[in-house]
Amino acid sequence: MSGGIARGRLAEERKAWRKNHPHGFVAKPETLPDGTVNLMVWHCTIPGKPGTDWEGGYFPLTLHFSEDYPSKPPKCKFPQGFFHPNVYPSGTVCLSILNEDSGWRPAITVKQILVGIQDLLDQPNPADPAQTEGYHLFIQDAVEYKKRVRQQARQYPAIV
Amino acid sequence: MADSTEELEPLFDYSRVQPFDVVCIDDEDDVDSSQAFSSNKRRKISEPIVVEDAEENTKVIKIVDCEENKELDWLPPPPKVSGDVQKLLGDNSTIKELRLRKQELVTFAKSAEDVLRAVEESAKREIGSSMQSSLEAVTDQPSKPPCERVKIVISVQDKDGHKQFRMYMDDKFERLFKMYADKVKLDIQNLVFCFDGDKISPAATPDGLGMEDEDIIEVHVKSS
Repeated sequence: MSGGIARGRLAEERKAWRKNHPHGFVAKPETLPDGTVNLMVWHCTIPGKPGTDWEGGYFPLTLHFSEDYPSKPPKCKFPQGFFHPNVYPSGTVCLSILNEDSGWRPAITVKQILVGIQDLLDQPNPADPAQTEGYHLFIQDAVEYKKRVRQQARQYPAIV
Repeated sequence: MADSTEELEPLFDYSRVQPFDVVCIDDEDDVDSSQAFSSNKRRKISEPIVVEDAEENTKVIKIVDCEENKELDWLPPPPKVSGDVQKLLGDNSTIKELRLRKQELVTFAKSAEDVLRAVEESAKREIGSSMQSSLEAVTDQPSKPPCERVKIVISVQDKDGHKQFRMYMDDKFERLFKMYADKVKLDIQNLVFCFDGDKISPAATPDGLGMEDEDIIEVHVKSS
């Protein structure tokens, strides 16, 4: 059963994460109301990189793993309407390493995904826009774009 | 008659040669031997009594008795024998004492062995229970509180790196926070500790948060 492979890999990923992960990041499988853990959905937090306009923001991201993981990449979603040129209006992140037909490799870890998305926040890829507002402001109005980014960072302060 | 006597003389000579006294002596010897016999009998009667007095003596003493019997068979009983018997009795009493001592020692040894066994058993039980508890602790670490205090290594992560701390599973984080604050020389009031993105209360314990060995907790310094 392919689901066994996915869950086994995710259990390993979680184990490795608990022992070592980059500072400020959070990645944990969701806990259902009855107390059981669902390894197929992870609730994560990506901190805005220090020294950028994203600093101070702790952006929630949800990873949805399929039964075909790690053959296929997880779907990574910010909250709906997240402001970023490469994030779809649904919140889904558009990134080459998360594309099954492009840069995804089964060896890519959860840690690498999260760090990759953190890099993407301050380094959008104008060649692959996913939303109009973020894309247009990024290429047309740098000042307004910067303002919107800082505003969004304040919108997602540290939970603690 | 004389002839007859003469004829018989040589025979009688021979008989004359044999001293009459000798017969008497023989008789006396017989008497003596009978006396000796009777005395022997007495001894034999008395000896079993001695043996009985000795109370189920060991083989050594029985052998000694046998030798005495042999001696008594061949020789008239020396007056020393009674003394010897008394000595034997004395020896027996000392042997008795020795035996009693030995028995006491044996009982002591047995009791000591029992004590050792008891200690060993209890130790085994303790080891078994501790093993079980430790196994339980290993297997049920996140869910059930272990019977004995289990130590855990917590890695405190700040922006500069990791610092490892040892604490008990049921220890409050308060202590670790203080240790960390002292180490980095920062006010504990400006530090926020998080596990899996959630703030850790100073009253919380690793066990309560379902933490495992070498889990990371993050420390954030308040900007204020």
